[in-house]
Amino acid sequence: MNDNIRKLAYFLISIFAVLVVYLGYLNVVVGPKLFTDPHNRRLAAAEKGMIRGTIYDRQDVVLAEDRLNKGVKKRVYPFGQATAHLLGFVSQRYGRIGVESTFDSYLLALDDAGKIQALVDRVLGRQRYGYDISLSVDSGLQKKAAALLAGRSGAVVALDPRTGAVLAMSSSPSFDPETVEDVVKTEKITKNDKSTEVNITRYDVLQKQADAAPLLNRAARGIYPPGSIFKVITGAALLEAKPQVLNSKKVCQGSITVDGFVLKDTAIHGSVDFNTAMAVSCNTYFAEQALDLGEENLKKAATSFGLNLIGYDATGRIRGDYPVTGGEIAFNPGTMPSGGINSTELASTAIGQGRTLVSPFQMAMVAAGVANGGNIMKPYTLETVTSRSGRTIYKKQGPEVYASAVSTQTARLLADAMEQCVKRGTGAQASVQGVRVAGKTGSAQNPHGQTHAWFIGFAPVENPTIAVAVVVENAGGGGNVAAPVARELMRLYLKK
Amino acid sequence: MNSIEFRESGRGYEIRLLVLAGLYLAAGAAAAYLWAGGDPRTYVIGVSAPALAFLLVAVIFQALRFKADPFLLPVVAVLSYTSLVMLYRINQFYAVRQFVWVLAGLALMFLTTRLFTNYRPLSEYKYIYGLMGAVALIIPIFFGTEEGGAKSWLNFGAFHLQPSEFVKILVVLFLASFMSENRMVLTRDTVTVRGISLPGPRSWGPLLGMWGIALLLLVFQRDLGTALIYFGTFLAMVYVATARMLYIGVGLFLFMGGGTLSYYLFGHVRQRVDIWLLNPYNFIDLGDRAYNQAYQIVQSLFAIGAGGLTGTGLGGGYPLFIPAVHTDFIFSAITEEMGLLGGVGIIVLYVLFIFRGFKIALESRDDFSKLLAAGLTALMAIQSFTIIAGVTKLLPLTGVTLPFVSYGGSSLLANFVILGMLMNISHEANAHE
Repeated sequence: MNDNIRKLAYFLISIFAVLVVYLGYLNVVVGPKLFTDPHNRRLAAAEKGMIRGTIYDRQDVVLAEDRLNKGVKKRVYPFGQATAHLLGFVSQRYGRIGVESTFDSYLLALDDAGKIQALVDRVLGRQRYGYDISLSVDSGLQKKAAALLAGRSGAVVALDPRTGAVLAMSSSPSFDPETVEDVVKTEKITKNDKSTEVNITRYDVLQKQADAAPLLNRAARGIYPPGSIFKVITGAALLEAKPQVLNSKKVCQGSITVDGFVLKDTAIHGSVDFNTAMAVSCNTYFAEQALDLGEENLKKAATSFGLNLIGYDATGRIRGDYPVTGGEIAFNPGTMPSGGINSTELASTAIGQGRTLVSPFQMAMVAAGVANGGNIMKPYTLETVTSRSGRTIYKKQGPEVYASAVSTQTARLLADAMEQCVKRGTGAQASVQGVRVAGKTGSAQNPHGQTHAWFIGFAPVENPTIAVAVVVENAGGGGNVAAPVARELMRLYLKK
Repeated sequence: MNSIEFRESGRGYEIRLLVLAGLYLAAGAAAAYLWAGGDPRTYVIGVSAPALAFLLVAVIFQALRFKADPFLLPVVAVLSYTSLVMLYRINQFYAVRQFVWVLAGLALMFLTTRLFTNYRPLSEYKYIYGLMGAVALIIPIFFGTEEGGAKSWLNFGAFHLQPSEFVKILVVLFLASFMSENRMVLTRDTVTVRGISLPGPRSWGPLLGMWGIALLLLVFQRDLGTALIYFGTFLAMVYVATARMLYIGVGLFLFMGGGTLSYYLFGHVRQRVDIWLLNPYNFIDLGDRAYNQAYQIVQSLFAIGAGGLTGTGLGGGYPLFIPAVHTDFIFSAITEEMGLLGGVGIIVLYVLFIFRGFKIALESRDDFSKLLAAGLTALMAIQSFTIIAGVTKLLPLTGVTLPFVSYGGSSLLANFVILGMLMNISHEANAHE
């Protein structure tokens, strides 16, 4: 019987060993995620007794800080609407979003060292402070982006292609993050002969504006048809699969017929080579090339730039939800159908119509990938975290590669073609005096009216330091509407 | 150190360890005083009374030349002291009551060691335990009150009693008596069906009987956790008595069957299991309705996640965000404020208890003693595992107490009786060396 007892003891003690390992996993690996879950009331509770960390931009300009006014603590955002989507807000009622939520554990000093400090401070009755964080964002550029978009719906994303640093991320229309909880009016609701007064807050009002959707961060989570900016990806597919394409030309007669469907072009471009096709955004050229290239090569290029392939059910809806890529900024990585693409759709996909949907953030990464010799760097916003006493809690380590989209050779050829687009093509309005600018325009057809104006690009071509993506909703052609926005941003950033 | 020397000085170890445990309690009380303040005399009494009571018991054991295992009492002391400190931090009302229960439990443990030093005759009355246990379980079905979803409580005005906590001791006593008497039959009784030997009716009788009791608990008292513990203990004892994996297989199959059936029949079981299947860190995507349903376990996980390695320190966390934190979820509160190290410390204490318990079973000389010691130890192991795994979402949550740590008189008294019984068996084994 002793043998049985021993075996039982081993079994029972080993399940406790499993428990210890699992508890360690839960506590150390999952714990930080649980802690910053917006449902966790600990965040709000911790906040009450402390001064939340200050958020700085890359030049130590204050983007958000706690200010005490007659003993009442208030979170102040000096740039107001211009940084609303990027920074988000902290609200007891409406939770926490944006950078404020992502870096909550730093802003509230919730790491182990911070907990010990909190214990000491509590015993000594000292004021507690969260950690200050510095972002990669350039507040001047951010402000400019918001000003350029003002009055229109759209988004701007600017990245440093060499590092993946987010320089600006703006979405319009915006909102004032300081006043989301303010009561703007009271409404009387009569129910079962009893009328109650209901306070309507600014947040409630913002949430009801379904069309303008001011709370939506269009830059990261907006999904749009890409239009002709997708030709950068089609071009990449072409150069990777058939490098000899550079030596041949196609004749554009103003439209192309695929299986009886007519795809119209913007003009009769005549005989065009790769660079000219990119410059004048010739639909016929890219549609014909894509038909030769085939669906698989196009999908391969799209996924190597980070787009996801998704399935559709019989009714034409996507299976599941649109994907979201995690990390410091949660963005929509762009989607393409995983299969069932017929010739007509293949031709229209090549020119950015079809079912392909992208976010401005993703397209900024595409531009950054081309700029950085084919390597897309992992996007980030957090540079450093510092305690109040000056101790460095976190420092961004060297850049990481997010995806190797294309070869260096392909990237160089694409950059050449995109430079032609700005020099002599549809992107002319993006040109900056004294700087070599590369870019691609897009005017994406959509069911809501005028085309969405798109521009993606980077500068200077010989050593790119900024990559941008601009979208302005239902505003017309990318060359006239979006390219000037990009120009102003690049001009400001490069100080030209 | 050889074993003889060790046995001679065993009580000395016990006393020294209890002094250390007393210092642990004093440190906890000092931390609580710094955090909460108040009348220092409360703290002095709160520390000295339990610490001295445990020491007094150890000194009396030494005087009586009681030869029981010297490590069980210190382990239980540390668990009880943790309970007192945590409860004081959570809600002083519960701490004061628990203080009384700990002293009462200690007295009951001492009484158990005095009245049942010779515990063997207890094996003669097995059908009386069976009857008593059945009655005690059936009464709450008709006269019970519901607490935390389980209708297993009797309301006596001043205090509430949970008979199933005491019945678990009777169940182990009954099974140990029955199995030690029928061990040969159980091991050999087979019916050959088409060349395959299967256990005969005398063997599967008790198996089905036990399954029935577990299901009864589940159905009428809606007490999933206790049912699981009873049945788990039963299987552990069957294994110790017979080593026949077939019984265990059939038993597990029956339990799974019962569990699956109850999943489809009872909303509260289904809800618990559905909650269990949720991803621990994707609660954001659940939507508010699902989040509200999983409220308790989510709060528990938030607390554990807040602890990190070292915890927030006593008073630094927010354990009161967890509903029922003083009973079922006290482990989450400990992990929040004492961190992973504190949580693992508690688990290690249970492992020590289990280790010593099985050592006692191995050292005792007859089947009844072995089965009783192994059964009581397995009971303690399964109960502490069930609740810790439940609040950490390793298993579906079932509301049972964490032995010696959760607030609650019934549970505490019953567990001190188990401790007393184990010490009796240990004394008996060592006395005849």
